[in-house]
Amino acid sequence: MSSKVCKNCGSTAIDVDHARGNAVCMSCGSVLDDNIIVSEVEFVETGGGGSLAVGQFVSSEGGQRLPSFGDSYYPGVGSQSRAQTLQRAKQNINTLGHQLQMNQHCLDTAFNFYKMALNKRLTNGHRSSHVIAACLYLVCRTEGTPHMLLDLSDVLQVNVYVLGKVFLHLAKELCINAPAIEFGEKNHDVSMTAMRLVQRMKRDWMHTGRRPSGLCGAALLVSAHMHDFCRTVKEVVNVVKVCESTLRKRLTEFEDTPTSKLTVEEFMRVDLDEECDPPSYTAGLKKTKTQQLEKQLMEKMPDVEDEIKGYQDEIDAELESLRPKLKGVYAAYVNRDLSSEDIRSMLSQQDDNQSDEDEELRAVARHFDKDLDTLTVEALIKLEQKTPEEENECGMKIPERVGPSLASILGTMPSAATLGLPESINKCTGEERENDGAADSGELDLSGIDDSEIELYLLSESEIKIKTALWMAENSDYLKEQKEKEAKIAKEKELGIYKEKKPKSSGKKRSQIRASTADEAIGKMLEQKKISTKINYDVLKDLNIRPSASPARKAESVKSESSGAKLTRRSTKPAQTPPGLSVPLSTLGKRLQPFISRQPMKKQAVESPQDSLCNPLPAPAAAPASGGVVVESGPVVYNDVADEEEDEEEDTCVSAMDLLGGNDYGFDGDDDDGF
Amino acid sequence: MDSSNDEAVDIIITNVVATFRTRCHLNLRTIALEGINVIYKPEVGKVLMKLRKPRITASIWSSGKIICTGATSEDEAKLGARRLARCLQKLGFKVRFSAFKVVNVLAVCSMPFSIHLVDFTKNNRPIASYEPELHPAATYRIKNIKATVQVFSTGSLTITGPNVQNVATAVEQVYPLLFECRKPLCK
Repeated sequence: MSSKVCKNCGSTAIDVDHARGNAVCMSCGSVLDDNIIVSEVEFVETGGGGSLAVGQFVSSEGGQRLPSFGDSYYPGVGSQSRAQTLQRAKQNINTLGHQLQMNQHCLDTAFNFYKMALNKRLTNGHRSSHVIAACLYLVCRTEGTPHMLLDLSDVLQVNVYVLGKVFLHLAKELCINAPAIEFGEKNHDVSMTAMRLVQRMKRDWMHTGRRPSGLCGAALLVSAHMHDFCRTVKEVVNVVKVCESTLRKRLTEFEDTPTSKLTVEEFMRVDLDEECDPPSYTAGLKKTKTQQLEKQLMEKMPDVEDEIKGYQDEIDAELESLRPKLKGVYAAYVNRDLSSEDIRSMLSQQDDNQSDEDEELRAVARHFDKDLDTLTVEALIKLEQKTPEEENECGMKIPERVGPSLASILGTMPSAATLGLPESINKCTGEERENDGAADSGELDLSGIDDSEIELYLLSESEIKIKTALWMAENSDYLKEQKEKEAKIAKEKELGIYKEKKPKSSGKKRSQIRASTADEAIGKMLEQKKISTKINYDVLKDLNIRPSASPARKAESVKSESSGAKLTRRSTKPAQTPPGLSVPLSTLGKRLQPFISRQPMKKQAVESPQDSLCNPLPAPAAAPASGGVVVESGPVVYNDVADEEEDEEEDTCVSAMDLLGGNDYGFDGDDDDGF
Repeated sequence: MDSSNDEAVDIIITNVVATFRTRCHLNLRTIALEGINVIYKPEVGKVLMKLRKPRITASIWSSGKIICTGATSEDEAKLGARRLARCLQKLGFKVRFSAFKVVNVLAVCSMPFSIHLVDFTKNNRPIASYEPELHPAATYRIKNIKATVQVFSTGSLTITGPNVQNVATAVEQVYPLLFECRKPLCK
């Protein structure tokens, strides 16, 4: 009872009579409400004198029966769709659960999980099969059944990590803490032994951080062999779904434990008390040991090195005598660099000249095993006399030891860059001054950046040319495509029909089918197009197909004319909409099916052009003459079928062919089905 | 930055990812043709440039956004980024160095003890998750400092976070939890 104010006089004295369902103003007498709907529970008397509440109980979930709202058909928005979803989910859960031999209680729990997920909209964005599997796995974990995610992914043929992702997402959103998976009990002897083995593995710290299936596989293999079953690694791998190498690795690790040394009977009776370290730990220990050994060796190295150097010198001397001349680009560079180094060293330390050279020779010998024979002391002395220009270039490198300079020589590019250094420095210092001005808020702080090193990263002009040529050659295909694209766009721009690049191309382009009969054409069309699952081809084979016109003719007809004529044609059948040329066959609906049923089976039909003339396909010129015979061009596909449809309309209109006297068309009465 | 206990635990930073912008359009083809150590990927639309001095790989997009990966410290990342910008300047682009931000830091750390992952997960239920079928490590996500710690049963940790300070804090936070669930080693 809402206390209202009268609209006419503004008084608040309103009398509401529920019996009549009226609300009347007491001061002016105007009726404010009529037929007031009352929401109270009513009771009726039953036969025995008791009272019964009136009405039906409607569940919020929509229930099975729709509440009738006067008219019989109510679209049932929202709740009906939800009910369908839940029903489908229930079915899927049951199917999947039965495949995994899960009991009904688990399946019901899984269904509850699914309902929760649905309410929280967690099913969005995931395939329904994945979500179902995740719900089932959640139940498996909470109930502790011996099912693994791997089993589920095996049944669904889905990647286990994909399932894992969905499962984790679900568990997190539903705030369900799934207890960790444990190994289950089994009954057979082999299984018992395998279990004992796994327990043993657990004690030996082989199990943590490993997939359970790998350990199980190894244990099963061993126990099978213990009980004289010859199971190969392949069979076990098929069941457990781990790689062979993983299985072998587990076996090797187990082999390293002392338990593996026991015999079968001993293993059954005795349980060794000692526990092993985890395999990764022992591997780590081994690693540290080898590292220590290496260190020791390194310490002893210098002693051995001197000896080796001595031998190397002798070998060099021998080789010198055999091959005195220099060869190779590297040698030239080496010598040049070394020469500059030599100059410096000679200038500074006259005494140690010889030893420096020897050192460098040894260093060079170390770095260039192959070019040993090309290096000669004479060559080095020769290069001393070369211009000291290179000295300046390599000047910045001289403070560093032989190693880095040789390292730069080893790479061809940087060595070339060092040679081209003066030019590039000059070029870039000029640019530098320009560019510094450009940076304001994004100013580049150049402290700590050695420009000279940065120069190394840039190629010289000649190198740029070479690289450009190489790159162009390699990517010529790609470049060609780009050029063609641009040319096309330019052309279209000229013609004024340039459209902005669309990421998707709408509609499929079909090539024109050339066939002499419409049957052939339709046959080719069906081959081209995806075969529909809705067509029963066996039935098609049985039906008779009327021979139809040659598609070749159609191809010549004018599009616009045909479309215009088509519309007039179609106007006789109000229920039809003119299908666009891109309308797929299936959308033309039932009307087409009789056609399709008839035509394709006559693919091997007569190919003679004369017979192929049929009603709807006279020359385009005849089209207007015949008063609206529609000739369509473009994708012959639709033309065929559409024209076949036109055939039916021939009942009412006379085609040019008839006028011309063609009588070979068996116009079947059943053409008119559904039209 | 060591954890607060007697034995120092070394946190080794293995990767620092940083981004910055040059505020100018870059012609990738020019960079590809005139630079050393560059890989041009026209299908993706970027150029990979590798620097040697701070060992860094940079992905350069034509919009001027650059991602630098592979540095071993934040300063090194900044140095490498500036070097890269300098290099691009030399190629002729009007480069400005702006919006430098370290986006991700990856560090590894090793505990002197092994860890019982199942117990660790049970004690830290919603924050830690362990799925041996999917990944051998337990994942511990610290929400407030936005760091993720992956704990392996051998005691190795992998920590990822937005900066080095957060990574250190994460290790300090997680250390006592790991210490509780350690496995005594037998020799």
